[in-house]
Amino acid sequence: MTTQHNPILGLFYCRNVPGSSEQERQMLEKKYGTRIRLFPIPCSGRLEPFHLLRALEEFADVAYLITCPEGACRYFEGNKRAKKRVERTQEIISHIGLEKERVGIIIGSKDKPQPLADIIEDILGSTSHLSPSPVLQYAGPPS
Amino acid sequence: MITAEQKPFEEIREMIAPYQRILVLGCASCVAECAAGGQKETAMLASTLRMKGKMEGEEKIIEEHTLDRQCVNDFVIRLDDIIEGYDAILSLGCGAGVQAVQEMYGEIPVIPALNTEFIGETRAQGLWVENCLGCGDCMLYHFGGVCPLARCSKQLFNGPCGGSVDGKCEINPDIDCAWQLIIDRLSSFGALDRLEGIYPPKNWSKKQGGGPRRIVREDQQK
Amino acid sequence: MNHVSRLKEVLEKGEFAVTSECGPPKGADPKVVLKKAELLRGKVDSINVTDNQTAIVRMSSMAACSLIINSGLDSVLQMVVRDRNRIALQSDILGASALGIRNVLCLSGDHQSFGNQSEATGVFDLDSIQLVQVVKNMRDEGIIVGGETLDSPPDLFIGAAANPFADPLDFRVVRLAKKINAGADFIQTQCIYNMDRFQTWLKMAEDRGLTEKAYILGGVTPLKSPGMAKYMKNRVAGMDVPDELIKRMEGVAKDKQREEGIRICVETVQRLKQTPGVKGIHIMAIEWEEAVGEIVERAGLLPRPLFGDD
Repeated sequence: MTTQHNPILGLFYCRNVPGSSEQERQMLEKKYGTRIRLFPIPCSGRLEPFHLLRALEEFADVAYLITCPEGACRYFEGNKRAKKRVERTQEIISHIGLEKERVGIIIGSKDKPQPLADIIEDILGSTSHLSPSPVLQYAGPPS
Repeated sequence: MITAEQKPFEEIREMIAPYQRILVLGCASCVAECAAGGQKETAMLASTLRMKGKMEGEEKIIEEHTLDRQCVNDFVIRLDDIIEGYDAILSLGCGAGVQAVQEMYGEIPVIPALNTEFIGETRAQGLWVENCLGCGDCMLYHFGGVCPLARCSKQLFNGPCGGSVDGKCEINPDIDCAWQLIIDRLSSFGALDRLEGIYPPKNWSKKQGGGPRRIVREDQQK
Repeated sequence: MNHVSRLKEVLEKGEFAVTSECGPPKGADPKVVLKKAELLRGKVDSINVTDNQTAIVRMSSMAACSLIINSGLDSVLQMVVRDRNRIALQSDILGASALGIRNVLCLSGDHQSFGNQSEATGVFDLDSIQLVQVVKNMRDEGIIVGGETLDSPPDLFIGAAANPFADPLDFRVVRLAKKINAGADFIQTQCIYNMDRFQTWLKMAEDRGLTEKAYILGGVTPLKSPGMAKYMKNRVAGMDVPDELIKRMEGVAKDKQREEGIRICVETVQRLKQTPGVKGIHIMAIEWEEAVGEIVERAGLLPRPLFGDD
């Protein structure tokens, strides 16, 4: 059983988010180590609820989607659709007894686009109160 | 297409409770189009069931697979390669799919994860509407391509009833009055006179007169 | 017993007919029906008995009609197509005639989702117009659906409903024509509050010669309160209550509102009486049967005509 207290984050982010180049991603991974896992995606509209669910099922205490700034989507409505899918995922997890806040979405600001590194700090801050996920506490069937 | 919606999660949990190794089985046809039982929805349901199982300390093994079609035996038989070891199948097929799979694998319980709803169309993204009852005797010619059986709440053949207001049905203002649609369509065809005569009682024997229906086509058989 | 339809007699003699309504109880006590009927004795020519109106389970319309007939009054059996398929409907038509019921009003029925059995299946095997035609064929041709002959045909005066206030207006009259062509002898309309729209509809019916082919009975319902008027306007589909009428109800003191409702109703009846295409009225005083006698009296429709067998 794990003893860490800082939640492990699974982060899906649109490649359009500022400060998310390959080099910057590697730096962030170095900085946070096992506390975060980063998944760049071509458009946040491509994210399906099962991606977030899989992350929660397999390793993450918290799974977030970070979209490009509003109005900046290359595919026009990708980030709008993404919001609805995240809300649907929240419904599903709250139905099985997980806190809604374990899933979230950050929609980039049009006026003040934030770099990925800052957004990660914000998410870590706002989710630090969450206890380790009960899904990941399961030791597995006795062999 | 056949439309469906997922059953309440708790109902599914109750039905699978007695089983340890469960195959969650999607169908990539109609139920994928209506976002109820395709590959994505199958992955979501399987993942959610596994998470809930872990939270409850259960020892189930829940795996997933999606067939191109559950209602066609030639596709169902492909399960032969993977079916070994499962003691239940949770099917996200329509009612026809569930039964076809059950027929093929008689020794394994096949549990429905969906409520099959209706024959309908995808009117817009996220909106499916019923428009055919499969009555076996299509009347659409007479009604300007709008089925009064499927789309009028009271199945009137000689409508509209007194509850038609502003083109909406009295049952639910989100539903268009089928008879307003029929009248508008036939007017635009210049064929409103088709409605002057009394449409006779429907011959229901085409739907249910001979018990469960079959279509036999010798030219299609081996 | 060789009953005759009182309603038919009145209409055929050219008298202005008056009918009213009795909603059967949510119970098995015959006295409730008889008490309501007694309030209407001598005030109306025939009493409609509703058929599980608003899809709420009540004593069967046929049983209540039979009770009323046995107390020496005429009744109109309402039959909705919501709950019975063509086998049951035709069987009940024969049974009704055997019990001495002489009038039938063929209706679609309020949708089951409105009532206290919203999980019930809606049958709708026939629609109301088809039912009219079926009853007519049984009575006049002695045949049932499919053409088989009856040993003895039912004897029934056939009615249907019309709503001049629903949409689309132009087609309303086409549908009225279909009902009359199907075999309706008389037509009961939806409650009339908007006299202008009613007159427009009636004119269209007259132009098609329909007012000569069937007896049109104008439907009226006395308002109890401005709240009821608003409810009917906003919540009952196909009900047209003009704002002036709501204002008029609001303009009187609370304890005078029922009186005002009756006054409006009497005015409507008097206008209908002077309208040549209208051959009678049907008063639907919902759970307010006491009001019927007063309306009929104040509209100058008493005494009701007597016939040889009275």
